[in-house]
Amino acid sequence: MKYILIGLQIILSLFLPLLAIGIIRQIKAKLQNRIGPPIIQPYYNLIKLFKKNQILSHDSTWVFPLSSIINLSIVLILSFIIPWLPFNKSVFSGDIFLLIYLLALMRFFTIIGSIDTGSPFSSFSTSREVSLAVLLEPAIILALLALAVAFKTSDLFQIFNYAYSLDLIKIPVLILSASSLFLASIVEFSRCPIDDPTTHLELTMIHEAMIIENSGLNLAIVEYTYSLKLLLFYGLIAQCLTHCILIILNLNILLQSILCLLIIFSLLILTSLIESFSVKLSWHKVPDFIAYALTFSFLAVFAAIINGVSL
Amino acid sequence: MLNPPIIVDINSLQENLKVKLKDSKLGMISSITGQELFTLILNNNEGNASLLISDIENNNTYSALTPAIPQAHWFERYLYEMFGIFPQNHPRLKSVIFNDLGIIDYPPLRSVDQNYHHNFQRDTSFLNIEGNDLYIVPVGPVHAGVIEPGHFRISCVGENIINLEIRLGFVHRGIEKRLTQIPLTSLRFYAESVSADSSSANALANALALEQMLELNVSERSKYLRTLALEIERLSMHICDLGGIATDLGFNTIAMELARLRGQVFAMGDYLTGSRYLRNYIGTGGVRKDDDQYLSKIKSLIINLKPKLTKVINFFINNQNVYQRLHNVGKLSKSLAYDFNMVGVAARASNIAYDTRLIYDQGIYPVAILKLANESDGDALARTKVRIKEIITSIALIENVLDNIPQGTTQLVNVKHLPANCIGLGIVEAFRGELIHLIFSDENGQIKRYAIKDPSFNNWTGLAISARNNLLADFPIINKSFALSYSGHDL
Repeated sequence: MKYILIGLQIILSLFLPLLAIGIIRQIKAKLQNRIGPPIIQPYYNLIKLFKKNQILSHDSTWVFPLSSIINLSIVLILSFIIPWLPFNKSVFSGDIFLLIYLLALMRFFTIIGSIDTGSPFSSFSTSREVSLAVLLEPAIILALLALAVAFKTSDLFQIFNYAYSLDLIKIPVLILSASSLFLASIVEFSRCPIDDPTTHLELTMIHEAMIIENSGLNLAIVEYTYSLKLLLFYGLIAQCLTHCILIILNLNILLQSILCLLIIFSLLILTSLIESFSVKLSWHKVPDFIAYALTFSFLAVFAAIINGVSL
Repeated sequence: MLNPPIIVDINSLQENLKVKLKDSKLGMISSITGQELFTLILNNNEGNASLLISDIENNNTYSALTPAIPQAHWFERYLYEMFGIFPQNHPRLKSVIFNDLGIIDYPPLRSVDQNYHHNFQRDTSFLNIEGNDLYIVPVGPVHAGVIEPGHFRISCVGENIINLEIRLGFVHRGIEKRLTQIPLTSLRFYAESVSADSSSANALANALALEQMLELNVSERSKYLRTLALEIERLSMHICDLGGIATDLGFNTIAMELARLRGQVFAMGDYLTGSRYLRNYIGTGGVRKDDDQYLSKIKSLIINLKPKLTKVINFFINNQNVYQRLHNVGKLSKSLAYDFNMVGVAARASNIAYDTRLIYDQGIYPVAILKLANESDGDALARTKVRIKEIITSIALIENVLDNIPQGTTQLVNVKHLPANCIGLGIVEAFRGELIHLIFSDENGQIKRYAIKDPSFNNWTGLAISARNNLLADFPIINKSFALSYSGHDL
């Protein structure tokens, strides 16, 4: 049974991420009175990119193609150490600290891969990415640590084990962490209002300008990595929210899975709504936005500490 | 409209201009054959224009006007490049036409002259900026969007722009030369292709210049129909530019709505002229197509469009974040706007009350009541607001024209030849600003020189100046708020 579930998880992590991107695009198109591309358009794009030749910058070295492959490997490892679906089973043990360091390692390789191309666009977007990362990482780390404190374990599979005693006081920690992670994900994935993923303007880009030199297979890998990472983050948020509901309601594993997927889906809708009706923030205002995520993290930590005291 | 030309000595031209420009505006400086310099001065208070002609004797050089009159700087670059006339002491004689070789074989607009020798070189350099923490971002000439080619070189300290240099001339087509070589019957087709997004304004300027030369009178009905074409074009392009700003702000919903509504304006143009971009409509003596049944269709379209468009625009401009993104971005002060001869939207946003529709005879202006769209801040927000005001006046004008259009003939006149040694001037407020067509005929009634000054020719400098000290990430918005034409500059 365990192996069937692991197999199912691998299949889902191969096919769901691009579907998530397709769903965001389709909802956005509908909100903007457009017909929009079909939901499975990202798959077509991926197939197209696999067929295309790769063009490398003359200034780039072996670091550039390697970085995207390393990032892909890291994100695949992440998909096993993050319990992003209810039936996820721990294949190898990993905890919050491994998750945090793997995320940092991913960022490191994205950055050196981007600098390696020698393109001016990559350079300035890298500097933007790094300045945001410095501000953003505390928010993510604190949100995860709040969970660890509240549940007295740093193993994510222990936190989201669907078997702990019902206790209402954990709800604020879960909701605050989820909110913080969602705000952080907007910055982490360069979505509106931080960065416009559909823009063609090189000068305003953060994430898109970092990967501007990627093409062909490399770009396919980068895009898949991006979408899987997005899904993992949303899965993590969905786990927090699912557990809030599970504290009140008792559901079997099938309903749990459906609930979790529904929450991921509503997060996608929320993202597209924000992207349709928000204006990209001025670069000076981005730290303010991250401050909201950080505030939620702090509140989550407080809630977790109060939780610990009351026990 | 055009006073008889005055001969002015080249050495006293600078003094003369200094006095004249106190209460008038510099229209353009160029040359006819390369032997002389002409200066068009627009006396906006009297509503006429005067032409100063100065001979250049001294080995194709003269003392540059730019040090005293900054408005002249781009004209003198153009003069050097196209006529091989060397303005001495010009602060920076940078090339306006892109040419990799850097050598002028023969100045393209200069009339053939065996005795002409020169050793002028093209200056294609960029301003060098050196220091720590500085980096240079080259953008273009091929851009990610479907726009025309132009190269921007942005020198930055961190995220701040300290200098922007613009290189244009990638789409130089030699249109001014070509206009003197083609038969008069196809003149208007070439004239309106100067800048395809303001084709009706260019066609109108061409028609006005030719009508002035031929001393033709145009029927009232044609004037109304021409105004209609001009305003439909303005409406269409302002909606497009507003949508462009919304796209650059990441406000895609508004951009899509505006694109959809612009389709209705295209339909109006299609009904009026048979072309969504109003091509091949305005000609010498009248307009090509006139059908009452289509006018009623345009009427129903504009009535349908007005409430929808106002709703979308209000939603856009009242958004707090839009205000934050546009306010104080790309500021151009009134004095700089004056010094660099800004026209059109950019000038009006910097509180220069200048709209040629209020001064010069074109269409039913200046008789038709028109509210000047003025803003005082000179930033991207002000330029956006000027556009919005002009959208509203354009809609009102279109309704006005459709309600009051008189009966009459609109027949085009077939121009076979022009009067000898004659000058025709057409000034039109295109949606970007003041557009000038100036035609000189020779002793055989052929066109000797067809000089065009597109509004973008003035305003590119404004873009370069206003981008300074702004965020690099805000440059696309500043660029879009000016919305300049590459082909209009490159000719």
